[in-house]
Amino acid sequence: MAATEGKRKAGSTALRALTSGALALPGLAGSARADSAAELFALEYAFSWYQEDDIDSSLVAPGSATERMKIQSHQIHIDKPWSGRVDLDFDLMQEVMSGASPIFVEPGPGGKPQQVMSGATIQEQRTDISSAVNFYFDTGRITGTGGVSTENDYLALSGGLEGVKHFNQKNTSLSMGAGFSLDTIKPVDTDEFPLRPEKENREGYDVFVGISQIINEFAIVESTVSYQRGSGYLSDPYKEVFVGGNRVADSRPEARNGFSWLTRYRHHVDLLKGSVHADYRLYLDDWGITSHTLELAWAQSLWDVVQIIPSVRYYTQSQANFYAPYFDQATDDGYASSDYRLSPFGAISWGVRAETQFPTGQIQWRGRISYERYDSGASYAIGKVATPNPGLVSFNVISFSLMGAF
Amino acid sequence: MSNPQLVRMQARKSDVEQNARRVLCVLLSVLGVMLGAASAVAVDEGEPAPVFEAPALGGHGIVSLDDHRGKVIYLDFWASWCPPCLESLPQIEKLRGAFSEDEFQVLAVNVDSKPENALKFLKRNPVGYPSASDPKGVLPKRYGVSTMPTSYLIDQRGIVRYVQSGFRRQDIDELHSRIKKMLEQE
Amino acid sequence: MSTRWRGLARGASLLLCSAVALCSLGCKSLLTPVSPWERETLSRPDMAWESDRMLSSIRSHVFYSKEAARGGAGGSGGGCGCN
Repeated sequence: MAATEGKRKAGSTALRALTSGALALPGLAGSARADSAAELFALEYAFSWYQEDDIDSSLVAPGSATERMKIQSHQIHIDKPWSGRVDLDFDLMQEVMSGASPIFVEPGPGGKPQQVMSGATIQEQRTDISSAVNFYFDTGRITGTGGVSTENDYLALSGGLEGVKHFNQKNTSLSMGAGFSLDTIKPVDTDEFPLRPEKENREGYDVFVGISQIINEFAIVESTVSYQRGSGYLSDPYKEVFVGGNRVADSRPEARNGFSWLTRYRHHVDLLKGSVHADYRLYLDDWGITSHTLELAWAQSLWDVVQIIPSVRYYTQSQANFYAPYFDQATDDGYASSDYRLSPFGAISWGVRAETQFPTGQIQWRGRISYERYDSGASYAIGKVATPNPGLVSFNVISFSLMGAF
Repeated sequence: MSNPQLVRMQARKSDVEQNARRVLCVLLSVLGVMLGAASAVAVDEGEPAPVFEAPALGGHGIVSLDDHRGKVIYLDFWASWCPPCLESLPQIEKLRGAFSEDEFQVLAVNVDSKPENALKFLKRNPVGYPSASDPKGVLPKRYGVSTMPTSYLIDQRGIVRYVQSGFRRQDIDELHSRIKKMLEQE
Repeated sequence: MSTRWRGLARGASLLLCSAVALCSLGCKSLLTPVSPWERETLSRPDMAWESDRMLSSIRSHVFYSKEAARGGAGGSGGGCGCN
């Protein structure tokens, strides 16, 4: 089948959460929080440039584009002191996406799966706004968050509430939170692509409980479990599946229950003036996916002013029950997807970043530049992968940020 | 020949006993951890401030609490790695300037394990009151400091009248009025 | 396990538990807490959970959209514990 030449907007769903909105993830607002209300007004700006590798021409259907996605994002963050016990956060993210993305996989010569990409596309813009209010107590904090995320075909409203309580001279901290996200999708070009739904809704909820414990003056550990539930339209309206010789709409179950368990460890080595960072996350859900993520980093301090942090990340996932590169006949329950994000694969990424903080007069400055390279492939996965999805992606990200507090 | 049913019941009972003992162990340990974690007796309002003599930061002389008996004393525990501490230092210096040297004295105890870090900070942000150097943390332990920073308002007879836990910008006004009241009472 | 070993194990675990409990109550706690004035190392930027919230956020966002796993909240406790 020939590649489509539709005016499909690129990236609309590629960066979208499959269940809960990213903004509703508890902890994102609370990460790296101080223990008391901010007393300095802080403004931070970050720019990131994300570029996917071209897809290998041997993996695409003849005539299909090989260029993939490119995204530029701008982020702004503001810390606003409010009183001795309250402060506010504002976050704005704007990104511009361009390029092509995978639509469906079809059997090529010898049954080898081939990716069919969308045609050249127009630029697409996405805006995320979120805000948090933080109340600080002597032994804890409560935070309320809310946010909106919008693109021309999509609107998501999210909110959350989380709290932290310290015990044992603030050596032990218990945190918990809950969040929700309500999304509406109105896919574009439904006349050209009749398989696409006109309008769909979905909801996501998540709760988490975590505990952090100081081990000694040099080490700390933390473990957090969370449960996520998604319901409603969880399929990707821009993706299709090759079933029994026909193209049908990507169709996923109307519910998804997921569980994740993240454990993190930090240990300072005084002799080397650096710290070891180790993070491991286990994820399981009722779509049949099991995944492991392990991230290791070394934070090297230089002259107390600069940190250089090389890091490496290993990721592996098994496939969803209803996934296959393509289907020879219809499935019993009607669910089918050939999205590479539900396929079995592994990924290794490595990165390095440099951070610095220094005062000039009354202003505290912080700056950071970073680079990360991500490669995914069936060979990186734990367990044997019979047929790799041709749409697996590799990319580079370069980013920098600057913050001033006064 | 033992009754098999009786033997089974006894076996089950000892299993229950063992499990109960395990649960009790865990509960005791948790309780122990929680109780053990409670800090040693902290110096409270109304109690006499523990008298001390400590070397001054930078090595020039001694800082002694008793030397300043008869004045209202503001004793501040701080460290160079504690951001609210650093923000409080210029505020305390301003507070010091609001009262006469004959009636009001500010003393500080720095707990940096490497005192040179504290000296580096003071070089760029000098204050007019002495800091004692206590890298081993003997004094904060004696006073039962529960958070960094903590300060004690001590009256002319050496009794702690107010404990300031933590520091927020608004706290200076409260401290100012308390010191004023303590000076007027004499 | 033979009755002898079971009895021994039971006795040993009871002894251990009591020792732990007594120690915890009598002496310092099992995990001696780090005092507020001893948190210098923990307050270092290289000991933070996330040293750069913007970067964590963008990375989370990217991985979230390329991989099936989600979740991973965290980031409380530790640090200077001030105020």
